[in-house]
Amino acid sequence: MNDKSKVAVRDLTVKDKFSFARFLVQWEMILIYILIAINVYLMVMRPGLYFAPGTIQSIIQSGMDLSPLVLGMIFVLMLGDIDVSVASIMILAAMATGLSMDAGIPVVPAVLLGIIVGALCGAFNGILVAYCSMPAVIVTISTQMLFRGIVQVILDVNVLSNFPTFYNALAWTNIAYVPISLLVFLALGVVFIIVLHKSAFGRKLYMIGNNPVATQYSGINVKAVKLQVFVIMGMMAGIASIFFVGRMGGGVSSTMGIGLELNAIAICVLGGISTNGGRGKAYGPIISTLIMAFLIYTLGLLNVEANSRVIMTGFILIIAVLIRNLNKEILAEIKLRLLYQSNKNIEALNNKTAENIGNLKVLIGETKKDGKLSTTDKAEKIKKYESQIVGLKEKCKQQTKAMKQQQK
Amino acid sequence: MTKEKTTFLSLLKRLPHMRNFGLIMAFIALLIVAAIITPAMYSWNSIINMLQNNAVFGLLSMGVMFVILTGGIDLSIASTLGLSGVITTSLMSENMNVPAIVWVLLGIGVGIFCGAFNGFLVGYLKMVPMIATLGTMYIFRGFAFLASGGDWWFPHQFSDGYVNMAIGRFLGIPNIIWFFVIILILSAIFLGYTAYGRRIYAVGTNKESARIAGIKQERIILLAFTLCGALSGLAGMLFTANYAICNHAIGTGFEMTAIAICILGGVSITGGRGKVDGVVIAFLMMSVITYFISLLPGLSVWQSAIQGGIIIIAVLINVFTIRSSEKRVLKERGALI
Repeated sequence: MNDKSKVAVRDLTVKDKFSFARFLVQWEMILIYILIAINVYLMVMRPGLYFAPGTIQSIIQSGMDLSPLVLGMIFVLMLGDIDVSVASIMILAAMATGLSMDAGIPVVPAVLLGIIVGALCGAFNGILVAYCSMPAVIVTISTQMLFRGIVQVILDVNVLSNFPTFYNALAWTNIAYVPISLLVFLALGVVFIIVLHKSAFGRKLYMIGNNPVATQYSGINVKAVKLQVFVIMGMMAGIASIFFVGRMGGGVSSTMGIGLELNAIAICVLGGISTNGGRGKAYGPIISTLIMAFLIYTLGLLNVEANSRVIMTGFILIIAVLIRNLNKEILAEIKLRLLYQSNKNIEALNNKTAENIGNLKVLIGETKKDGKLSTTDKAEKIKKYESQIVGLKEKCKQQTKAMKQQQK
Repeated sequence: MTKEKTTFLSLLKRLPHMRNFGLIMAFIALLIVAAIITPAMYSWNSIINMLQNNAVFGLLSMGVMFVILTGGIDLSIASTLGLSGVITTSLMSENMNVPAIVWVLLGIGVGIFCGAFNGFLVGYLKMVPMIATLGTMYIFRGFAFLASGGDWWFPHQFSDGYVNMAIGRFLGIPNIIWFFVIILILSAIFLGYTAYGRRIYAVGTNKESARIAGIKQERIILLAFTLCGALSGLAGMLFTANYAICNHAIGTGFEMTAIAICILGGVSITGGRGKVDGVVIAFLMMSVITYFISLLPGLSVWQSAIQGGIIIIAVLINVFTIRSSEKRVLKERGALI
């Protein structure tokens, strides 16, 4: 017994083994339950429509137009930055492709040019954020105006409609009942998951998101990483232009896609990416992209008009973040307010009692496992501990009562 | 230490080290360029006109300044503007005879409600301000649509008293500018000379030390958001009165311009730094730019591009002047040691 009561040497082995219960309640799984729930709801309410050929495909296709933006935004949010210029970059890239198609440049260089324009815009943001240490919100708010302004200057009120034919095919057709856009999105998603969770670059993003100064001191070039992330974001905006223009039926005007950046951010946040940076997984936003598509479609079926759907989007965003925000501190705060009448003495007393009871319960567990004791001794000891627990609870209750009366 | 005499020369020497120096220089340069290219701008009428059309942005940026000073951001101000505009206009068109001051108060009330909701989410539920207000931006805009029922209101549906709240003149200056000036003075006094105003700076500078100093930061954040909402609500009422037109989409995107004015005026996005005078200069500068561009033929499509570019340049200058002033302070300390 004496050996056990000594302070144990610090145990540094990883104790968090794979726990199935924990796996089932993690955020990404909750998102999957939500997705399944929406599907079941649709299935029950409108079976005729749900099982009709093409319905599910068209739901998924309707949500894919901003999917590459979501993927890029994961990285930017992971850094603790934000990019609200992505929709403008997307339209600028689409315009570059459209204009070069008009000028008779072949398809492949034209599409590449669009993506390069996106990357350049991203680089512009990145240089201002990383090397001029300007806040990302401000930079991207102003470049949003700037890029959209450039499109307005060049296009004015004209509409570009000369786009490669594969744009429409990407957005509207299926391979073996699976939408092509979903396949491309998932392929891109796998790349992003691998980069974020399995590569050194991904770990750097988490580090910078948690503490940029410490990361700088540990020998990582924070500025370069930030620039790279913004360039990736720009490239993804360029790729998003392919999805978006296809979805729009192959036309681009200067006012298209306003507000898409906020949708992309909302999807990322719903997917569990913290806007403070450094928290979240890449799976979440991929699932929540699908959730959004299904949700908007379902609300449409329920005859909820577009603007009420907007309200729903807002509430979903807030509730998703609130659930994620519920941590121990806030729960303790709520307990203090509701149960203990904001009296910190009562809170301390209850916490102390809970701790003591916990210790006694551990002792009971140890006694049960102890092979040296006979069964009667065991029973006696356990009884003793249990009576102690009951006594502690009584005492705590009485004292709490007394304190509450005193406060009155 | 001997106190240096403040002569005109010493003032002149200290001038380049002032916080707003870069901003004022840029503003003067802009005024000179405008004077050369479009001298028509410098008439009493056009200046009043310019201020009248931009006063809404002044109110919005004054409101969002409170929030940014606490280290937050409010993206929902334009939606609050829309909601309060729609509610006041729709009720006004049915009750033409009610005195107009009621609608002003109603607009402020709607704004207070919206702002307090934001403040509750951010202050008490500890949500990230950007995300919370992103959500309420959708919510308030949606409610604006529901309240309007998709309708438009046109000038003949507006009562005279209501419209006069904005365009009626007192001493030759439109009321909407008077509103802005009064709010301006009140916020300067509030931020500079009252305990609650100083607490806003304290929370924005360092939340933890403010808490240890006994400041209830939840309450201060709630206060800042509520003030911001109240000003946005007032702006919504005045906006509809100024143009005598209203639908659910009024003011979309105004939040970006308002935040841009704040940043241009030297309000630090991380909180705790910034004053009313900087925001006023930035507001004047933004109004001049908008008006200047609208006067040049064929340039109106350039408007957002030029605005975006100017904000970037101005913030860059601001970053560098702050850096150089910090370096100067460090050097002086080094010299003392």
